[in-house]
Amino acid sequence: MKGENGKKEANLESTLKELDRIAKMLTRRDFELTQIREGREAELKELKQKAKDLEETREVLLNILEDAETSRTLAVEEKNRTLAIINNLTDGLMVFDKNNNLSFVNPGIEEILGIKKEEIEGKNIEELKQQTLLSAIIDLIFPKNRFKRIERVEFPFGETTTFEITTVLLRGLEEAGYIVIFHDISREKIIEKLKSEFVSISAHQLRTPLSAIKWSLSLLREEKMKEEERKDLLDKVYQSNERMIRLINDLLDVTRIEEGRYLYSPKLEDIREVLKLSVKPAEDEAKIKKIKFKISLPKGSVPQVKVDKEKLGVAIQNLAENSVHYTNPGGKVAISVEYHKDKKEILLKFKDTGIGIPKKQQERVFSRFFRGENVMRMATEGSGLGLFIAKNIIEAHKGRIWFESTEGKGSTFYFAIPTF
Amino acid sequence: MKKILIVEDEKILADLLAKKLKEESYDISLAHDGQEGFRKIREEKPDLILLDIIMPKMGGFEVLEEMQKTPEVKNIPVIVISNSGQPVEISRALELGVKDYLIKTQFDPDEVVNKVKRQIG
Repeated sequence: MKGENGKKEANLESTLKELDRIAKMLTRRDFELTQIREGREAELKELKQKAKDLEETREVLLNILEDAETSRTLAVEEKNRTLAIINNLTDGLMVFDKNNNLSFVNPGIEEILGIKKEEIEGKNIEELKQQTLLSAIIDLIFPKNRFKRIERVEFPFGETTTFEITTVLLRGLEEAGYIVIFHDISREKIIEKLKSEFVSISAHQLRTPLSAIKWSLSLLREEKMKEEERKDLLDKVYQSNERMIRLINDLLDVTRIEEGRYLYSPKLEDIREVLKLSVKPAEDEAKIKKIKFKISLPKGSVPQVKVDKEKLGVAIQNLAENSVHYTNPGGKVAISVEYHKDKKEILLKFKDTGIGIPKKQQERVFSRFFRGENVMRMATEGSGLGLFIAKNIIEAHKGRIWFESTEGKGSTFYFAIPTF
Repeated sequence: MKKILIVEDEKILADLLAKKLKEESYDISLAHDGQEGFRKIREEKPDLILLDIIMPKMGGFEVLEEMQKTPEVKNIPVIVISNSGQPVEISRALELGVKDYLIKTQFDPDEVVNKVKRQIG
């Protein structure tokens, strides 16, 4: 039995050994499987992460796309806005590409040139030069066919229009083209012309009294003469000097009126008092010229008016002096004040038996430097600005001024001021 | 006595000129605008004319042009009285046949007398 036991033990041992081997193998397998499993889990985790990244990237891309879409919309809006501005500009705009083709004109150009854009858009400057309307312009902007940078160059166009032309070089990454701007300065030109005429006429008016003074002084300096002749010459010098002072004052008043610097400080006044003071110079002159001078005021009280005493005084003085100036010796000047209750206004009348105003000139009576053609027989001291100034003053007081006149018979000037 | 017609719209200047020339024993006639001036030129046929340029109704240049068309007066010597002395104005006057010119703000009465004497003695 030892032998059988021995065999049994040997089997058992080998079985145990086998079991051990298998166990080790299983353990090893298990380990390997665990490893594989962990590896798979790690891969899965990585994949999940990658999926997450992908999702994030997708979202970012979606955002980018959205932004791009917004930018595009904004850009289109911007473009439309700019186009609307360009199309509504009164200034004319031409755009040339770098090959000297006219790629765009705005409606302003169509208006200015009286041309439809289809007639000129797309054309090269060579072609455009053939058109009479454009050839001078093209020569200005592309002398010798090369673009010229010009800034605010005046360009007369037709009888009554002047443009200021400016050219701009468009630059992007390379030279992209040229813009030409047409700005209408016709109105500024007219104003410039009127201003320079004003200065010219004013200077001209000063020359006469200056000449008279020069000659009179010349004579006084060099000659022995009778006392009354001397006196006459000195009188002429005095008169001329007064005339210049008057002219300068009037010119300054006109400038102030036009610049809106002619300030008024209205207060309640009795118009009769203002009148009495303001007509004194005219009254004095009437005495010298032997002209009858009469003032009629209403009996009883008269409502006050809210006026700038000084300025209204100037208007009254101008009208009174005109009446006397333009009336011959022996004539009559009558000034009256009336209160019209129904119209709530005070009416002043300046009536003379003077030389009157010729009918065809009557509409210009209140304009600057107006002087009637029939005036030249008198030694007038007027600057031609008195009525212009008077009208401005009366109208600034919300009053009205008008006149009636017959050449050779006389004139009556009226003005009305509302009562307070 | 030689007769001078002064055509000048500013009375004060016309008077001063007249005064000086009367002292030099000239007979003086006055006109206050171009229209009256041209009428007196035809009627009185003066020996010399002193002519202002800028006047109402009819200016100095118009008077000169009318004179050129009128045979009996076209040869009367004219001295023009210019306000401005602008070369353009003066050369136009000279082209229209004036003999001499005076510039208002620059000359003195003696110069007037000299220029007048040079034309008619």
